Amino acid sequence: MHTLKVLSALLKINIQMSLAYRADTLINILLNLMWLGWELLSLSIIFNNTSTLGGWGLPELVALLGVFRLVNTLMIALVWPNTEKFNQSIRDGSMDYTILQPVNSMFLTTFSRITIWRAWDLMLAIVLIGVGINMSGDSVTLFQILTFVLLAVSGVIVIYSLWIVLIALTFWFTKFDNNVTIMQALLDSGRYPVTVYPVWLRIIVTYIIPIAVATTVPLQALRGDLTVSRILLFVAIGIASFLVASQVWKAGLKRYSGASS
Amino acid sequence: MLKIFQRLWIVNWAEQWQYRANSLMYLLYWLVSPIVHVAVWTSIANANGSVNGLTANDFVNYYLLLLIVDQFTSNITIHIFAYKVQDGSLSGELVKPIHPMLTNTLITNIAFKTMMLIGFVPVWIFLAVIFKPDFASVTWQGVLLAVPAILLGFIVNFLLSGAVSSIAFWTTRVYSINEFYFALFVLFSGQFVPLQLMPKTIQAIAHYLPFQLQIYFPIQLIQNKLSPAEILQGFLIGFIWLGVVILLFKWVWREGVKRFSAVGA
Repeated sequence: MHTLKVLSALLKINIQMSLAYRADTLINILLNLMWLGWELLSLSIIFNNTSTLGGWGLPELVALLGVFRLVNTLMIALVWPNTEKFNQSIRDGSMDYTILQPVNSMFLTTFSRITIWRAWDLMLAIVLIGVGINMSGDSVTLFQILTFVLLAVSGVIVIYSLWIVLIALTFWFTKFDNNVTIMQALLDSGRYPVTVYPVWLRIIVTYIIPIAVATTVPLQALRGDLTVSRILLFVAIGIASFLVASQVWKAGLKRYSGASS
Repeated sequence: MLKIFQRLWIVNWAEQWQYRANSLMYLLYWLVSPIVHVAVWTSIANANGSVNGLTANDFVNYYLLLLIVDQFTSNITIHIFAYKVQDGSLSGELVKPIHPMLTNTLITNIAFKTMMLIGFVPVWIFLAVIFKPDFASVTWQGVLLAVPAILLGFIVNFLLSGAVSSIAFWTTRVYSINEFYFALFVLFSGQFVPLQLMPKTIQAIAHYLPFQLQIYFPIQLIQNKLSPAEILQGFLIGFIWLGVVILLFKWVWREGVKRFSAVGA
């Protein structure tokens, strides 16, 4: 309850900040639509030349594009602005004020800056997922949709946890400004099913920087490719990664000594 | 003049060396999308035998050559120059008796490229070992023809980016304009797929735009895919664009500097 109250206050502040740049917001939404147009065109180019990509059809790639955009929105609306603020706060010591607040510091660090207009992007992503599922027609069961949602959420949690670990490393290595660039760099791989990639790339984006866990895996659930035990395994990975990340954050916080003292 | 370039090189190289970790991250960022495209298109070509006459090997060739060509023809002008207009630090460069864009920004680009190249060479060799391209279609005269084409592609796009970043004189911020410019590049350069796989109308337009000079045209030259008439036409279009962008850049720059209000001064 308390957390929700804080979150709504943070949202309010961020809405006020974004209202100062209304024209910017409009242009950004138009640019976003332009990129969506390009992404759909590129899918049509692919499927003009083939009927399946790694065994997946067009409806599945449209839904995958939606899931990819979900993760992309997470990166742009939350990860980048907060990381920038966090890195700055470690360098100049303003992290002190974050820790002093009577709110969970991990929560406050990762949610204090939110690029509000990206909510539009989030809606667009959900529409794409809906359209993709709709295009696949009757072949999708309710159980598959439910497991898809479950694994999409748990995949996003895995990405969120990885982000926490990466920024927490800054407590040990103060000059670690590139902490999330590696996530952004590999993100583009999430546009296509990981099954078409060569083994080494598949290993990197599944186990090391697990973009695929948030993109390909939920789609596999939607296709009905995953057994129940696999689904449970991925949910367990989601929960475990969050617990590990919280512990790393706590351990890191203990090392924080301020910048001036 | 040569001494000026030497000095600027020393300063810019020192700066690049200091930010080498950043450059390596950028390299990784820049590599992922072509590698993803190789994987996607070779998988499609293998499943269907060929795509529009292109075999899996053709795609491997295309993207591996794309990495090299793009390395030389691309530039980061918009990213470095717009900041200087925004925070007013351009003032210091404007009082010097040399053109800021055509000296300092140019050398920054070259220093950045050199730094990237140090990381790029081993990565490219690694990719070549993994994807095993058969470069049978690559000939010496193709490579020799591609050298001036790559140079032309770099100059045209450098001046075009210079003109686009000079819009910052009017608007201060150019992020949105840059994103739009980049979208045109993605659509018309051959960066996503070899242009012959694009819809016919896009191909027809792309043929006359400067973006394909940066990617598609040099790659086709290296692979010896063009007839002498096509080669001649390609270079002709390139030189016409060179004339256009020189005039465009000169005009935007002259009008822009007049509007420059030097924030913070």
